[in-house]
Amino acid sequence: MKIESEVASRAWVRPRLAATRSQVRSTLDLLLALTQSDLRVRYGRGPGRILRWMFEPFALVGVYLILVTFVLHRGGHAAGLSLASAVVPFQLVFASVSNAMNSLDLRRPILLNMAFRRTLIPLSSVCTETVSFAASFFLIAFMMVVYLVAPTPAMLWLPLVLVINFAVAAAFAYAMALFAIWFRELWAFGLSFVRMMFFIGPGLVPLSETHGTANDLLRLNPLTGIFEAYRDLFYYGRSVAAWELLYPLGVALLLLGIFVPVYNREQRQFAKIV
Amino acid sequence: MIVARNVGVRFLFDRHRRVVTPATARLRRSGTETWGLREVTFDMEPGRGYALVGPSGAGKTTLLRLLASVLFPDAGSLDVKGRVASLLSTDAGLLGLLTGRENALHLGVLAGLSRPESRAAVEQVKERTKLGDYFDRPVSSYSQGMRARLGLGVADERDPNILLLDEVHEALDHEFRAVLERRAHEIVARGGIVVAAGHDHEMLSRLCSRGLWLEQGHLREFGDFATTRTAYLKAHS
Repeated sequence: MKIESEVASRAWVRPRLAATRSQVRSTLDLLLALTQSDLRVRYGRGPGRILRWMFEPFALVGVYLILVTFVLHRGGHAAGLSLASAVVPFQLVFASVSNAMNSLDLRRPILLNMAFRRTLIPLSSVCTETVSFAASFFLIAFMMVVYLVAPTPAMLWLPLVLVINFAVAAAFAYAMALFAIWFRELWAFGLSFVRMMFFIGPGLVPLSETHGTANDLLRLNPLTGIFEAYRDLFYYGRSVAAWELLYPLGVALLLLGIFVPVYNREQRQFAKIV
Repeated sequence: MIVARNVGVRFLFDRHRRVVTPATARLRRSGTETWGLREVTFDMEPGRGYALVGPSGAGKTTLLRLLASVLFPDAGSLDVKGRVASLLSTDAGLLGLLTGRENALHLGVLAGLSRPESRAAVEQVKERTKLGDYFDRPVSSYSQGMRARLGLGVADERDPNILLLDEVHEALDHEFRAVLERRAHEIVARGGIVVAAGHDHEMLSRLCSRGLWLEQGHLREFGDFATTRTAYLKAHS
């Protein structure tokens, strides 16, 4: 009797597993197709785009380095590496948001012609920008060489930090994609708000160089934990503190929990508004 | 089989007359609404072609987008059973900066094929579209007719049993009009459904035996195409 019920339950589970597997595979296929087309459209072809991915963060760090060392006179030890540790993860968040905010315009011909799982669009924006983000790691390596900072075992935390960086970028991408749909005339303001997150976080100076209320308030920014986690890995060479991962992850999950269902509801209207 | 019961599609506008989503309309409060389709009821049976006729703005494109699941009903219910391929503009979902090959691969996956399936189908698309070397050039360099050809080739990737056409056939050259007609007849002969909208009534009469006359979002007449067309032309002459 017991054996019969076990066989029956296994027979019920197998098709469900197969269906889930096929669902996951088709989602990955769709995500890959959207990302690949997005990469071609946004970044063109050939080696030029890889050079662009690699040197864009250099330009940004260069500007901030001049600001920090010459204008603010707060150079400190390996200032370039400290800055790169914030600029590189922020690039992923900012580029993903910017991409997600105009992704509907880019995909207008498809949105008006055929049905597909449109809820994946912001996630594909993050995947697209993750490719250029990967190239910008060259900047961190370069800075470590310039400042003679040796890699440490703390770098083993990197995969976990990358996952959380990706989750935060995805959460911001969904939220800001909706913002761009709801408030099209405030598109530029929305993007400026995300850029502001860099400056109201320890982007230019590490958290350890801030004190009192400012230090407490900066920790509320979900990007603070990520910037500091990158600094721990590459700049200080120490293990990541739990709050640096858990707080951004918590905020990302909260935002995803709120905005993905809303985006899923709004995508039914895309063909009307593009 | 396609079954529509009291289907309606509503467009909401803000005070600047831009279309907004219901969520935005709730946030902004002031605005207006209009129905692109209202209380439309019909049954489309397998093995037939259906022509949509009506003046511009009558709701033909809205109805086709609804059938393609690009739009969703705001009222009533719609049941579409079958694999749908849609050519709702000469762009047909093509991205100008991608080549014909890249578009075929991309749209195949979006239509539900796996990546290996889509990759395998790409050569057939090249063959069918007869685009030659242009297949590996960016779509932005194509003429309207070439885009429509590629669109048709890509739409055919999934072996559809429902084909939706919105004036696209009017952009095709004579050779590809014949190809499109042949394909549409095959789909109908196999028990599929073809729904086509346009102003070329001669071509529509070759593709479709039934007609739907839409007027300001309402279904004015539904029946034999020749009769519907005559009634429509008489009302607008």
